[in-house]
Amino acid sequence: MKMPRTSIFFGFGVLTALAAGWLVFPRALYERREQPFRFPHKTHAEKSGTSACNDCHTLGKDGEFAGIPKTKDCATCHADRMGSSPAEALLVDNYVKRGRETPWLVYSRQPANVRFSHAIHTRLAGMTCRDCHGAEGESDAVPVYEQNRISGYSRDIWGHSISRLRRAPGDGMKMSDCENCHRRHGVDAGCLGCHE
Amino acid sequence: MIPTRRDLFAWGGGLAGGMLFTPVPWKVLDDVSIWSQNWPWIPQPARGPVEEKLSSCTLCPNACGMRVRMAAGSPVGLSGMAGHPVSRGALCPLGFGAHQLNWHPSRLRNPLHRGRKTSWEEATAAFRKALGEGPIAIIDGRTGRAASTVLERFAAAHGATYAAARTAEEKALGPYQRWTGVPTSSLGYDLENARTIVSFGAPLLDGWATPGRFTRLWSERAAGSSNPALRLIQVEPVQSRTAAFAWRWVNVRMGSESALASALARVLMEERLVTARGPMPSESVNELAGKTGLAAETIQSLARALVERGPVVAISAGDNPSVAALNVVLGAVGARGGILRRGGGTKSPVPVEALSGRMRAVLIDSTVPWEVRPNVDAEVFRFAAWHGGTTTADWLLPAPGFLEALTDVPTPPASAIETYAVATPLMAAEGSKDAARFLAEIDPAAGSLEDAIKARCEAIYHAGKGGLIGPEPQPVKGLASADKLYEALGNGAVWTGEAGTPGGLRCDLKEWPGPSAMESPAGWTDGWTAPVLPPLAAKLYRESDLRQAPARSDV
Repeated sequence: MKMPRTSIFFGFGVLTALAAGWLVFPRALYERREQPFRFPHKTHAEKSGTSACNDCHTLGKDGEFAGIPKTKDCATCHADRMGSSPAEALLVDNYVKRGRETPWLVYSRQPANVRFSHAIHTRLAGMTCRDCHGAEGESDAVPVYEQNRISGYSRDIWGHSISRLRRAPGDGMKMSDCENCHRRHGVDAGCLGCHE
Repeated sequence: MIPTRRDLFAWGGGLAGGMLFTPVPWKVLDDVSIWSQNWPWIPQPARGPVEEKLSSCTLCPNACGMRVRMAAGSPVGLSGMAGHPVSRGALCPLGFGAHQLNWHPSRLRNPLHRGRKTSWEEATAAFRKALGEGPIAIIDGRTGRAASTVLERFAAAHGATYAAARTAEEKALGPYQRWTGVPTSSLGYDLENARTIVSFGAPLLDGWATPGRFTRLWSERAAGSSNPALRLIQVEPVQSRTAAFAWRWVNVRMGSESALASALARVLMEERLVTARGPMPSESVNELAGKTGLAAETIQSLARALVERGPVVAISAGDNPSVAALNVVLGAVGARGGILRRGGGTKSPVPVEALSGRMRAVLIDSTVPWEVRPNVDAEVFRFAAWHGGTTTADWLLPAPGFLEALTDVPTPPASAIETYAVATPLMAAEGSKDAARFLAEIDPAAGSLEDAIKARCEAIYHAGKGGLIGPEPQPVKGLASADKLYEALGNGAVWTGEAGTPGGLRCDLKEWPGPSAMESPAGWTDGWTAPVLPPLAAKLYRESDLRQAPARSDV
């Protein structure tokens, strides 16, 4: 039986949409931006003996999280070049010697009315860094920063799976991710637990 | 095969239909909604080092302790100060978003004269002229502050009338002031020791006095219990949120609260349920019951329930002498769990309602709620941080916004404990000036705010009573000097004096008061100076509307 011509074109339209939506759209939506230089967590863990995340990403006694280390922290070892890596040369010449902070692109940056306490999640809830950040601490290079062309936020907020199905643990930092995790663990944070 | 027009339509239809099964429409919708939250004209707090400071909320007189989260030197979040003697770690929905108010579109940035932009110099010249021609009145919305001292001193030096707009809680204490001579600013409710509270329309769970005080008590001693340690009986013609959560809701006719208070007093005395003897209401219980819409038996049963578990205290939403007289009958005046006299307090100024007739000018402080308009024919100089819409003021003068100027925070109304705190400026106040500074510039003899606050610190230090609560708790006696006290208060500490003690207040009725019209209940916004809402409050208000009432029993 011969398929009607209209159905063929309709089906072709559906296939075009599916291909564009699932294959082209995710690539077009995000702009890939390189970090200022390659940072190998693995090398630092192996060579400097800083095996715990908290050695560099310090969490103070008062719960204040230092986030990404400052240039002065890097300068404690990298005041001058120690090796031949181009990344280290960039760090030392462009930032340490000039006293400038490295303009890292922050994967987890949220709107200004959102706050997040690492202290509450690690000390009170007993979560590990790996629960959210995966094996980042063992990577050779930090991932490419993918910026959403519409919202301006990192792809890490939505998560790497465009469908948000079958995501890796810790992939995605949308409000619904916070709510779902809180609900699973019976935490009632209310609005003001995260918003201000 | 050459595609026809029909083929293109079929392809387009397939494309549109197929797109619904891709992430495109849903993801674009999500991203556009986020993009729309970050338009360039929406104020964004700066990113920078985060620190936390302690302070006190200055939106209304209720003196809640606050933790202020600062980012790059600006407040970005507020939360309650745990351990605060009165607010006990809680804030109202407005307080949580108060830091957003300084960017509100209704913020006053320039002096306005009848809607036209003008200058401070012109405003000062006009006020000087009015002052020379007199008479004038100065209206304060929050007495007992250092700024109040400046306003009062200026008024005294220039023959002006110093008047005050009172909050609903202060008005409710009015009858005791008239009967005992003790100013309302020295009176408070000892709720912490009460076991039964009968509220005549006071929104105890929804914005009465310092919000955290009663809500904490209620959650600790009453929430979710059918036989609570603290019984709340709410007398109200509508099922308000407080009525919905109360142990009992007494549904009376609108405006019949005085009649019910009188009927209860009559039953208490006739059935000898109390030891008090004295003047009785002239009407019988049946007559009074007829006014309330309740059966006489219901009132008798309610009267017995009142004294079943003492101490008991009655609280009115406003100035209601019958409710105050009921407290006298219950023996709650000057008694534990009732109405106590505490330290501090100032002589009550002329109430703003008493101003009438013709005056040359009236100056209204920014602490006076926007809707308060004195009943006088005068040129009005109105200080305000936010434009509240319709106004009869001739001059609108921009006052500092939230946490933009130094101010002190005296004991909140209705508190049984004397407290004192200082809120230091955490943001720059550009182009604004408060009434106290405005008047001190005209007549420096009125004194400065800083000096008045330091004088209060001196007085507290030399009295040597009480202690500091906050970052470094310690007794006042442990401080090296009054300057150290001033410094500690500036860093967010709260001075707490001694709680009121029973016996310091005696009240005898000479005759039973006549019925009075009931004022409408106060809400979260009562006594609040800013006539605008922060965005966060809009969200929190909506959430509080959705609260579910627990199972309750009606009378």
